[in-house]
Amino acid sequence: MGKVFKYTLIDLARNRFVLGYALLMLALSQGLFLLEDDPMKAMLSLVQVVLALVPLIALVFTVVYLYDIQEFTQLLAVQPIARQSILGGQLLALATALLVAQGFGLGLPLLVHAPGPSALMLSLSGSALVLVFAALGALIALRQREKARGVGMALVLWLGFVLVYDAMLMWLMFTTSDYPVEPFVVPLAALNPIDLARILVMLEIDLAAMMGYSGAVYKSFFGSAAGMAMAGAILISWVLMPTWGAFRVFRKKDL
Amino acid sequence: MRTLLLLLVVLAIVAPARALTWMHRGGGDPTLKNLLLSAAPGDTIVIEGTVAEGALVIEKRLTLWGRPGAVIDGLNEDDALLVKADSVEVRGLTFRNPRRSNLDDKAGLKVANCTGARIVGNHFDHCFFAIYLSGAKGALVQGNTVQGRPGEEESMANGIHLWKCSAARILDNWVEYHRDGIYFEFVTGSTIERNTTMHNLRYGLHFMFSNNDAYMDNHFERNGAGVAVMFSKQIVMKRNHFLANRGASAYGLLLKEINDGEISDNEFVDNTTGIMVDGCNRLEVRSNTFRSNGWALRLFANATGSSFRGNTFAGNTFDLSTNGSLMLNTVEGNYWDRYTGYDLDRDGTGDVPHRPLGFFTLLVERQPYAMVFSRSLFVALLDRAERLLPSLTPEAMKDDRPRMRPPGTTAKVEKPAGTVMARRSVPSSMLFAWLLLACSMPYFAAHG
Amino acid sequence: MAEPRVTCEGLGKRYGELWALRGADLTFHKREVVMLIGPNASGKTTLIKCLLGLVHPTEGRIIVEDTVIDARAPQPDYRNSIGYMPQISQFPPSLTIAQLFAMMADVRGLAPDQLDDRLIAELGLDRQLDKRLSTLSGGTRQKVSAVLAFRTHPTILVMDEPTAGLDPVSAARVLKEAGALRDGGGTVLITSHLMEEVEALADRVAYLEDGALRFLLPMNDILERTGATRLAQGLPRLLEQMNEPRPTH
Repeated sequence: MGKVFKYTLIDLARNRFVLGYALLMLALSQGLFLLEDDPMKAMLSLVQVVLALVPLIALVFTVVYLYDIQEFTQLLAVQPIARQSILGGQLLALATALLVAQGFGLGLPLLVHAPGPSALMLSLSGSALVLVFAALGALIALRQREKARGVGMALVLWLGFVLVYDAMLMWLMFTTSDYPVEPFVVPLAALNPIDLARILVMLEIDLAAMMGYSGAVYKSFFGSAAGMAMAGAILISWVLMPTWGAFRVFRKKDL
Repeated sequence: MRTLLLLLVVLAIVAPARALTWMHRGGGDPTLKNLLLSAAPGDTIVIEGTVAEGALVIEKRLTLWGRPGAVIDGLNEDDALLVKADSVEVRGLTFRNPRRSNLDDKAGLKVANCTGARIVGNHFDHCFFAIYLSGAKGALVQGNTVQGRPGEEESMANGIHLWKCSAARILDNWVEYHRDGIYFEFVTGSTIERNTTMHNLRYGLHFMFSNNDAYMDNHFERNGAGVAVMFSKQIVMKRNHFLANRGASAYGLLLKEINDGEISDNEFVDNTTGIMVDGCNRLEVRSNTFRSNGWALRLFANATGSSFRGNTFAGNTFDLSTNGSLMLNTVEGNYWDRYTGYDLDRDGTGDVPHRPLGFFTLLVERQPYAMVFSRSLFVALLDRAERLLPSLTPEAMKDDRPRMRPPGTTAKVEKPAGTVMARRSVPSSMLFAWLLLACSMPYFAAHG
Repeated sequence: MAEPRVTCEGLGKRYGELWALRGADLTFHKREVVMLIGPNASGKTTLIKCLLGLVHPTEGRIIVEDTVIDARAPQPDYRNSIGYMPQISQFPPSLTIAQLFAMMADVRGLAPDQLDDRLIAELGLDRQLDKRLSTLSGGTRQKVSAVLAFRTHPTILVMDEPTAGLDPVSAARVLKEAGALRDGGGTVLITSHLMEEVEALADRVAYLEDGALRFLLPMNDILERTGATRLAQGLPRLLEQMNEPRPTH
């Protein structure tokens, strides 16, 4: 696994898309902090960008990259190594490359312009999103043979997580407002990794409002050690489950 | 020392007409109680060490000076010290152990029905009520420190409590870990300046039925709620700091049934709600700064005839919210960091009105749990749509002359007229930038 | 008598409802070159992918050097002896040729002195070692692919259309190398269209059609039976003969 990881990472380190991602994030975050007089405001804009853009890029890039090296993966599978090592090395390298690019493009400017718990939480949540959506991307790329359909599925999945899920949840909340379903809204939202990441960041940035009448619920839900552990567990299972699925598919797959 | 005391006593006997200074050491003879009885009006008593004689009463014009470390211990009997005479001065003493009673209000130092009391530089250590002025006129309370203990706020009464007083001056005091920091009920013509109240269970400062008062340059931090002003008229509130008053029913400033108040140049930071306005008339809210609050301003529909001008709203989760559709107040010439308009004629005022009430604000007003969607993409899109085509937010709820930059700041660089349009707000252009990116993704994917 | 190296018994692969390969019984020997031919979608690719462990057979089994390959979870070790030159050669785009060579040696755990790198210079790749793979033409990538297939001293070499995209000189060089491998005792499987160069090399010919093996005959047999000098002439005649009812004795 280490060997595949090493050379895939060398390849990714010079990948134009990865470099472009790092520079794009750097331009975005740096630009926001320079254009806005108020670092707080820049931070808030950045949150929205990160929460939408990071999953999209992690997802689409993972899918596209895995399709592009499909034939080379075949050649690797003919070598005397286990398939798990091949996929493991490739996924690890993808995750590392994306995380490093993001650390450079997002983490660094945050550290320079707005060091503090909010910045830390944004970086951590962004990293978690990278891992979650890279894992989902791997699952899509391995299950779906055609590249065009795979990319299409990735976009649909992204749209679902970033927009449709919230829309449906909100619709549910308002159509059933006669029943005491509200307490379920927070756990339901927390099941969506993008929402969960957003809530974690908001608990730092919008703390004042979160402490309001409804906010006490979030604070008790996520503010406690048990809550944070639960949030971490949800994110980790969002990484592990698709990864496990991807390995399962890849082990049996006809290449 | 003993000789000095003897000398003083001799002097007191020899020249009874002149003001004398008495020394008293805690536990010494005569007792302070006796001394308070025997001293003549106008005399000064200097106190050393711990006086543990239980409740003390002053019934004539005396000055009590504590030397460093001097303590009055009430032994849980009654008020530790009760002042019933005019023009008494109490200075430099530490008070402890008045009786704790929920039936009658016992205090470290109580001033009852007299004029011109001066309470300066004392320390109140874990007293039930610390300073209690009842029916006092023209009292001065300055530079005292009033401290309860963390975790015991529940069993504490108010720090500085005024009832039916007038022309009081409450200056430079520090109050923490009590129920209310400073409490005014039926108090008129008084000022509260440069005080700090922190960590109090209920309010940092609480007004009830008190008219024509002013509080300036105070600091209210991490109280259950910052300041509550209720059922009062003509209150002036200037240059105060309301910080981190957070909680389910916490406000920086709660205004209930207030008429003709002035609120200017205050700073509201990190509060769950900056100002809550409930049933107020003719308020003038001017040049305040609201930063990083949950709700900067919550305006109930029963507030009328008030004006909100020249305020700065930045980094709040919600700038403004209301529970009704009617708007009988003026909101004009404020700076809103969410404003996305432009200023073609370069007069510093935006050319299109700003609607501070977002769609999401209304959602959360109706369904508090919707807060979970704060700053989600879906909400951002809904908010944008609502601002472009208002359908749910009250038509009158808008600022027709939004400022392009916060009051008090000047333009950094005058840009040539040609690039004016470029100065759209950053977040909106960001939104478009990444939407564009999102749409171009499949292209990259296909040609990557 | 030829010694068997790879044996397929009743090998079959079904994709959905469609059998891409079915009932394939065949043996490949040591010291021979077998040419796999057949129309498109005849099962050639499926057969070699089964041998390589890329595709898991639905039925039947494969025996390599007395070891039965577990179709569900092929043990990776048997692939130590396999060299593979795929038809399309896509590599990690941003690696250089040298890095790719290093990677593949690393993956197999082989040191430089255990590798046969003569082909690198002979195919003219030595001057391009620092070029990125994405900048190479298809032909050059085929050469890289050829080097990778030969350099680990395989005893089983699988080549999928090896001459497609290669210039004639390089193609001849690669086939010569395959011949040398055979002469050293190796087994070479080549899928190919009817190409003179490959015919000249082949000892036997396997013909697949609609997922079934029609015949696996020595090249000489085919030419003798049909009286042809080239496979292109002999193949139609042979298929005709096979379709005629057998003369009864």
